[in-house]
Amino acid sequence: MLHVENLTASIGGTSILNGLDLDVGAGEVHAIMGPNGSGKSTFAHALAGRDGYEITGTATLDDVDLLDMEPEARAAAGVFVGFQYPVEIPGVNNMYFLRTALNSVRRARGETEIGARDFLAVAQDAMDLVEMKEGFLYRAVNAGFSGGEKKRNEILQMAVMEPRLAVLDETDSGLDIDALRIVASGVNALRGPERSMIVITHYQRLLDYIKPDFVHVLVDGRIVESGDHTLALHLEDHGYADFVNHDLDDAPERPLSGAAR
Amino acid sequence: MTATSTADHQEMLDGLTYPTKRDEAWRYAPHDVLGQLSFGPPVESSRQLPPALDANIPALKGPRIVLVNGVVDLERSELSALPAGLRLLTFDDARREQPELLAAHFGSDVDLSTGTFSALNVAFGRNGAVVHVARGHAIDVPVQIVDIVLPDEVGNASSSGAVIYLEEGASATVAETRIGDGDFGGSNTRTTITVGDQAALDHIVLQDVASTQAHLGRIDATQGAGSVLRCHLFNLGGRYGRVDYDVCLAGEGALVELTGLYFGTGNQVLDQQVTVVHAAPNCTSRQAFRGILDEKSTGVFNGGIDVRPGADGTDAEQSNDNLLLSDRAEANTQPRLEILADQVACKHGATVGQLDGEALYYLRTRGISEADARRLLIEGFADQAIDSLDNEILRSWITERVRRHDG
Repeated sequence: MLHVENLTASIGGTSILNGLDLDVGAGEVHAIMGPNGSGKSTFAHALAGRDGYEITGTATLDDVDLLDMEPEARAAAGVFVGFQYPVEIPGVNNMYFLRTALNSVRRARGETEIGARDFLAVAQDAMDLVEMKEGFLYRAVNAGFSGGEKKRNEILQMAVMEPRLAVLDETDSGLDIDALRIVASGVNALRGPERSMIVITHYQRLLDYIKPDFVHVLVDGRIVESGDHTLALHLEDHGYADFVNHDLDDAPERPLSGAAR
Repeated sequence: MTATSTADHQEMLDGLTYPTKRDEAWRYAPHDVLGQLSFGPPVESSRQLPPALDANIPALKGPRIVLVNGVVDLERSELSALPAGLRLLTFDDARREQPELLAAHFGSDVDLSTGTFSALNVAFGRNGAVVHVARGHAIDVPVQIVDIVLPDEVGNASSSGAVIYLEEGASATVAETRIGDGDFGGSNTRTTITVGDQAALDHIVLQDVASTQAHLGRIDATQGAGSVLRCHLFNLGGRYGRVDYDVCLAGEGALVELTGLYFGTGNQVLDQQVTVVHAAPNCTSRQAFRGILDEKSTGVFNGGIDVRPGADGTDAEQSNDNLLLSDRAEANTQPRLEILADQVACKHGATVGQLDGEALYYLRTRGISEADARRLLIEGFADQAIDSLDNEILRSWITERVRRHDG
């Protein structure tokens, strides 16, 4: 379903992705793990269409080339990226934002738009999924939300948008154990035969809750190792040292129990 | 009546000169536009009110006075079936029935040093609306005053007035709409507000004259002890749209909140000149003005906090946030603080920024087109000023208006 081949991305002459290859089949969940600075977030945003990267290579979803599309066209094609740092948008009501988003992709796909009343039912189901109270819909998008609320809001958006491909960028970062459980169970509920997911994480912890079909290790903008979920367990015991044969300029790994960064 | 009044004020008008760019409060005004205004006694317009203009009057039901070119339009006004405690009078009625209500507006206390246009308004703004709320009465329905400028060959700039007087413990909402139609001219309005002890007034100004016209609005308010005044300005229309607020917190523990939104396109200049005088102890003032400036428009916020000797325990805040949508747009912000009392908490801040690129990207990844994402962010910025309004009809009037502006 998603086919990525020899993908490179650089920004201002600094290369971040260096020939990334990845195939994700329908209904599969892939985890991408890697040390800081390995290009995990850049990969997510290269798929989402962030401005400012120079990109080469191939990325197709259902054989449709993503790389030439604007971000909104990629969303219409079924790409959803959950942000590591969801953006605060003061003054824009969450409900209005969600309905505008859903109707924008529906319009782009030639589907009929959903009215306010029907949308409320859609939103209500999504809210239940991430255990949010209704008041949440009437607050400004992410404005003043706690870290956990922001991440739950990302999953809420995913539930409303029903993407073909969801890329979750460090959705576990900054979450306490309760929020992690809620986010993970939301993700699990959204797994399905027609929906693929890429779960990007720094720590193995999330994968206790979301069991991936495949685990990949990303180092220096390239996938250097792939395996099943036992690879994540190996990483927990041994860190990334086996895959990194030179010094990284970021801080040493912290113990897993101190995962909040 | 008008002719006599004019004669009365002729002497006053003789020495008047227009402000120039050297006057700080008029620095950014388009003086060529001001120079084209011609003032005179009110004359009924020879023109019919265009339907589009009629439709632009907010659809508030209830009491209202409509003035066209400074002349009361009784047909469009609603002066009957007033709720208990409310008096809504034309200036002519007030002169006959209760002339003391006009004292603060026309009396010797009127400070003509505030400028040429105030003096012109005293001379020619002989018609207007008086809103009077008797002691302890809460008026639930908003009272509307509509000032329409409809220039014809005879005159091009209209003058009118409003007097709002809340007795002790009274409460009310008054919405003043200033609109116009035509290729030239403008309106010059002056409002005198008195908020009695423990009284509460919501005062709304919707300024939306035609894009070639000028609007000069002045609001003088005096507040008693424990009173609350909430002013909401939506400064949207005109080649030059200007509103001056001069609020005096005269009684202990009074609160004033001034919220403003200006949204300029084309070569509009939208100008807000605000002075809050803390003349009594333990008063609170809040000024929060937001500007959205597109194309070659200019926004001006000149905000003063003046803490007089003895006004100890003053709590004053001021903010001015500007969103520039074009690199030819301009925001000018100037705080003026003068603090002559003790134990004063005074905060002010100003920002000028552009649409947040990260927020645009975030919205677009959710399938929202770039144009819609921009619109959402602009409306979100504006909403933070619109949110201060409780009245649903006025909120939707403004939301619609802002949408038209950015569409």
